[in-house]
Order: sequence, then structure tokens, then C-alpha cells
Amino acid sequence: MIRALRRVPLAIRVPAVVAVLMVLAGLVASQQVLAELKRGQEARLREIVRLHVDGLSVALGPSVLRKDVWEIYDTLDRASRAADHQRMVLTVVADGGGRILAASDPRRAPVDGDLGALAGVSAARAVDAIALDTGAEALRVMTPLLYQGRNVGSILTVLDVADLVRDRRRTVRALLAFNAAVTLTLALVGYVTIRRMMRPVAILARHMGAVGAEPAPIPDAQLPAGDTEMGRLFGTYNRMTGAIRARADAERRLFERERLVSLGRLSSSLAHEINNPLGGLLNAADTIRAYPDRPDIVRTSVELLFRGLNHMRDVAKAILDHNRLDRTGTALTTEDFEDLRLLISPELQRQAQRLDWSVEATAEDLAPYPAAPVRQAVLNLLLNASTAAGHGGCVCLSASAPDGMLKIDVSDDGPGLPDAALGRLLDGHGAGAGGGVGLGVVHDVIAELGGWIEHARSGGRTVIAVCLPPGPPQGGA
Amino acid sequence: MGPITFDRRRFVAAAAACALPRPGRATGTTFRLGLTPVFLDNDALVIEKLQSTFHLAMGRPIELVQRRTYQELTGLLLNGTVDAAWICGYPYLQHADQLHLVGVPVWRGRPLYRSYLIAAKGDTAAGLAELEGGSHAFSDPDSNSGWLVTASDLVRLGRTPEDFFDRTIFTYGHRNVVRAVASGLTRSGSVDGYVWEILAEVEPGLTGATRVVAKSEWLGFPPFAIRADRANEPATTRFAEVLRAFPEFEHGPATLRLLHLDGFAEGDDALFEGIAVRMRDVERLR
Repeated sequence: MIRALRRVPLAIRVPAVVAVLMVLAGLVASQQVLAELKRGQEARLREIVRLHVDGLSVALGPSVLRKDVWEIYDTLDRASRAADHQRMVLTVVADGGGRILAASDPRRAPVDGDLGALAGVSAARAVDAIALDTGAEALRVMTPLLYQGRNVGSILTVLDVADLVRDRRRTVRALLAFNAAVTLTLALVGYVTIRRMMRPVAILARHMGAVGAEPAPIPDAQLPAGDTEMGRLFGTYNRMTGAIRARADAERRLFERERLVSLGRLSSSLAHEINNPLGGLLNAADTIRAYPDRPDIVRTSVELLFRGLNHMRDVAKAILDHNRLDRTGTALTTEDFEDLRLLISPELQRQAQRLDWSVEATAEDLAPYPAAPVRQAVLNLLLNASTAAGHGGCVCLSASAPDGMLKIDVSDDGPGLPDAALGRLLDGHGAGAGGGVGLGVVHDVIAELGGWIEHARSGGRTVIAVCLPPGPPQGGA
Repeated sequence: MGPITFDRRRFVAAAAACALPRPGRATGTTFRLGLTPVFLDNDALVIEKLQSTFHLAMGRPIELVQRRTYQELTGLLLNGTVDAAWICGYPYLQHADQLHLVGVPVWRGRPLYRSYLIAAKGDTAAGLAELEGGSHAFSDPDSNSGWLVTASDLVRLGRTPEDFFDRTIFTYGHRNVVRAVASGLTRSGSVDGYVWEILAEVEPGLTGATRVVAKSEWLGFPPFAIRADRANEPATTRFAEVLRAFPEFEHGPATLRLLHLDGFAEGDDALFEGIAVRMRDVERLR
């Protein structure tokens, strides 16, 4: 419940709290007013009854002693006609034995009747116990009739308190209406006020954008006037968005640089790859020129030339495939792995490194994944592994498809990744320098494909595992 | 007789027409006239009107002395505290040897009235006999219409008020008898017929809650009396003259209108023979 309330916007929550507090304050105030009204009414009633009874006691005392029915009735009748006694709807006078001597309305309380047998007599209260808590419109009060210090009988008075009850009901209704109006007004004012106060926060939230989106700076026109907290907050926010943009630019530049670096290294090793057979090919061409009339030598040399040129064609094709821009959407194939092997081989040979290559994933397993980003990421990992392994080291690649996903492990027996490089690889954060080329690119590429990267170091080997969940089927190779 | 509730608007109109007596016109000693609330029901305005009329007519100050019961009033008359009194025919006859009749009110053309036996409007009793066991309101133990008539009727049935009714009360006012019955304080009551009829005109709401169960025969209207041994005194003689010529005096007609009376007749003891018969019936029982 409270958790659900916390999801309600502040602009509604705050006025709602104000309204609830107002209702509570209204209820407490109303309770106080009603209690005071009730106390006042009861005190007034007690005073009226006391005056009534005291006056009657003085006037009726001798008649009650004589049991003069007419005199008692006459006194009660005249008293009941007085303006002040309109509240007394019935007054009954009884002797000490509870026998009715007379009543202001003899039909309701006949002479010689039993006072105790009258309706509602058991609910009659003493003057001091008069209370308006029952809501009844008639109140019965029983008082002793004292004359010359003696208790000579009793007086039952039935008071009409309907007007007092009506007053209270009217007051309750008026209080409720007033409180409801005030509460509603204050809640509305609170809502509008808080809404206005919260407007800068809403602007800020809107410019911050959705989760993951880049925050946008707040235009000057929308900045709050004056040196308020909100104005300072907006200034800080705008400076922060500038810093975020600058960082993103820097990362982009780094990304490009890393790409160029890996490309440079690749170009260098490929130059070797072309250069190495080139000497042999030139020798073969030279041999053919020197011995054009010796078919066996020419045949052997042409064969050598053909193999060497084929190899160079394969290398050129691999490079072209790797850098072809329109490969986006092409499905990954086992040939892509062969290309990678071809591309990395010159670098490995240069460093006299051993390569363990194992591609267990079938063409079917590889089909759901796009070729270009996977090739880019794996090549970068292989280049990094080669660098880490050092001269005469060992580099391993294994591609498998466990549980319907693609898992590519690249390992080496080098000294392991520095923390900064590992941070860039796993989180995409970390300084640009500090070893590891293109690791930020690997992270971004794999994250974009919805995959993740695991790192393990055991037995003197560093294992980087790229895990890719199956994506939508890709286009053909 | 019983209490009268006067029409206030009529009274105010009459009062406006009648100037109060000027002190300079008063001569001689104060004449004291006894009245009972049984008759007037403490109506201060009527008392004031009566007083001003007598004052102007007799040419001397007049003091209206009120007592609660006929017994008290009769006592004042007999001991000379008051010079004359408007009493009931019953106490007049009780002391006929010491009292002298000076005037009898004339109501609807005759110096006669009746006693009414009343019950609540919804009461189905057809006569006195059917009211047995209920509570009953009398006006005054010395009132003819408010006690003697009903008591003598019961005597003729071989009963007394005390054993016939469950409870009897005296209200000391005919209007009070009507109030007692109308409110339900008692089931029935004995009331002056003149008072009930006047009330039916000026206070229909009150009499409307009652019903006349039975009416007595016509009896002598409550008279004005003086002490017999003072019958020839100038003041009492003048008082008798004023009574008989009441409508001719200033404010006289207005006062009579307030009292719903035609005037005052000389009257004689024969008027009260019916009351005397009832008295003898009751005496026999005692």
C-alpha cells in the first residue's frame, strides 16, 4: 500500500497529504465544537430544570403536604403556560409513596396512578446526570420534591430537547459542509501550488529522458529565473549533460582509434603475409625468365607462382570480407571462422605462437548470429590474446553451441589482463590506455548483440568467453 | 356562580370609552363590596371596571374585597368587614335570617341560571348515574351550581359524593372546573351554566373539550346581599339603588356587556326556592 503510494507523483501525493491532514484537523475541531455545544446545552438544561424544580418545590410544597390535587394541577398548568417552560412537555408530581398527585397533562399521568409505572420513568435521570448522549428528543428527569428541608415527594419532568438535538444535527451538517468545502479548497490550492513548485522537477525529469537515453540539456528559456535552488540545480544539470556528451565523444574517438590500431596491426601482419611469399614468387618469376626453355623448371616455378598467388588471393578475400561494409545482416558461417584463422595466422607465425583451433558449432548453430560484429569481436580478442601470449606462446579458440546459444572461448597463456583493460572489456568503462586494444569495441559489440562476456584466469591461462543468445535468423552468406 | 373570561378586545374598547373616576368626585367613606374568585376568577380588568362604575355611580370610593371561598366571603359579610357581597344563592339561604337581598343579576332576560354536569368531550356518559366511580370536580362546597345541585341529585339517588365518586376535588372557580374536566384531571365536574355558556363564547377552545351531560332546573341567580341589620343604612340603600339602575350609570352598560348580563333586578326569596328544596334534601341526609 505504502509502496504503491510512493509511486504516485509528488504533485498529487503532497496535496493529498494536505487534504488528509485538513480532514483530520477538521474532524478534531468539529469534535471539540460538538463536545462544547453538548456541554453548553446540558449545562443550560440542568439550569432550566433546576430553576423549574426549585420554583415548583416552593410553590407546591404546601399543596403536596395537603395533597391538594387541584392546587398542584393549577400550579403545574400555569407554570407550563409560561414561555420559559415550553420545554417542559410533562411535569408529574407524586407523593412520598410514588402515587401521582397531579400532572401538567393528567391524561398522560392520571391522578392516583403509580409514578413508577409511567412509560420511560426507569430511564429518568437526576438533574446532575442530564446528558444529551442518546439522541432522544425527550429527556426525563426525576428530582426529589424538597419542602422545608423534608423530602415530601418527587417531580418527574419530561423535557422536549428536539430543538437541541436539531441544533446539534444542524451544527454537525454545517461543520461537515464547511470542513468539506475548506478541505476541498485547500486540497485544490495545495495541488495547484505544489504542481507549480514541482514544474522545474518535471522539466528536469523530462530532459533526463528514459533509462539509458542520453540526457538532453535544458534550454535557457526554461531555466527558472533568479538564483534559486532550482536555477542552480538546472545549471549543474546542464554542465553535467555537457560533460556526458564530451565523454561520449571521447569514447567514440577511442573506439575509432582502437579500430584503426587493430587495423594497422592487421595490415602490418598481412603485409608480412604478402611480403613473405612475394620473395619466393619473384624468385619463381625470375627463374622462369632465366629458364624459359626449360619446361620442367618453368612448370615447377609456375606451380609455385600459382600456389603463392592463390594464397595471396585468399588473404585478400579474407581482408575484403572482413572490411566489407555491406556485410551487415549476413549470417555467421564456419567460413567466417576459417577467414579469422587465416587473418590471425601471419601474426601468430611472426611471433612463433601455437594456435589451438576448435570450431564445434555447426553452420546451423551459427546461422542465427550476424557475421560482421562477431568477426570483429573475435578478431580483436585473438589479436589481444596473441599480444598477451608473447613470443612462443599459445593462443586457443573454441566455438561451441551449448544450450542453444553460441559460446566462443579465446584463451592465451600470457600474464593476464590488466585491471583497466578488464574493466573496458567487461563493463565498457575504464581508461583508454593501459593495454588491450579494441576491448571496448568487443564489449560494445557483444552488448549490442544482447550477449555477455565472462573472464576467467586459471592454470596460467586467461580465458575470455563470449556468450551470445540466439537472435533472429540472419540473411544468407 | 363561576369565573368569567372576558373578551379583552371588547374590554379595551370599553375602557377607552370610560374615563377612570377622578379622585375629586369621591365623597364619603369607602364602600366595600365582597367578591369571590369563584365568580370572577381573578380577572383584574373586570374588577377594575366594576370598581370604576360603582365608584362613579355611588359617588364614593369603593373597595372590591376578594376571597378564595364563599365561606370566607360570607364570614366577612356577616362580621361587617364588607358592606355588601356578591354571593351564591346557597350561602345566602344558609344565612337568610341575617342577610338581606339587594339585587339579582338578570341573564338572558331572567334572574335565573342552571347548573351543568359536564364531562370530557369524548365521554359517553348520558347522565349522572353513569359517572359513578370517576373523579369529579366541584367548584366550592358553598356553591349551589358547583356542589349543591350534584350533591342533592346524588342524595335523591341515595348516595353521597364521597361514595359515588372515586375522588372529588374543589377547584374554587367554575372556570377551574371546566379546566379540570377539559384537561382530564377529573372525569366530570359541576359547573355554573352561566359561566359555561359565557366561556363557550369567549373561550370556545376550553369548553370545546367538554360536553354538557346534564342541566339542572332553572334556579335563582347568585344575588347581591347585605347584612339585614344594615338594610336601612344610606350606603347600602344607595348601593341597592345603584344596582337596580346600573345600566343608567356612566360605564354601566359597558360593564354589563363585559359581564354578559342584562342588568340587576330587585328579586325576592321566592327565586331561590329551588335551591332551598335541594338544601333540605341534602340536610336530610346529614
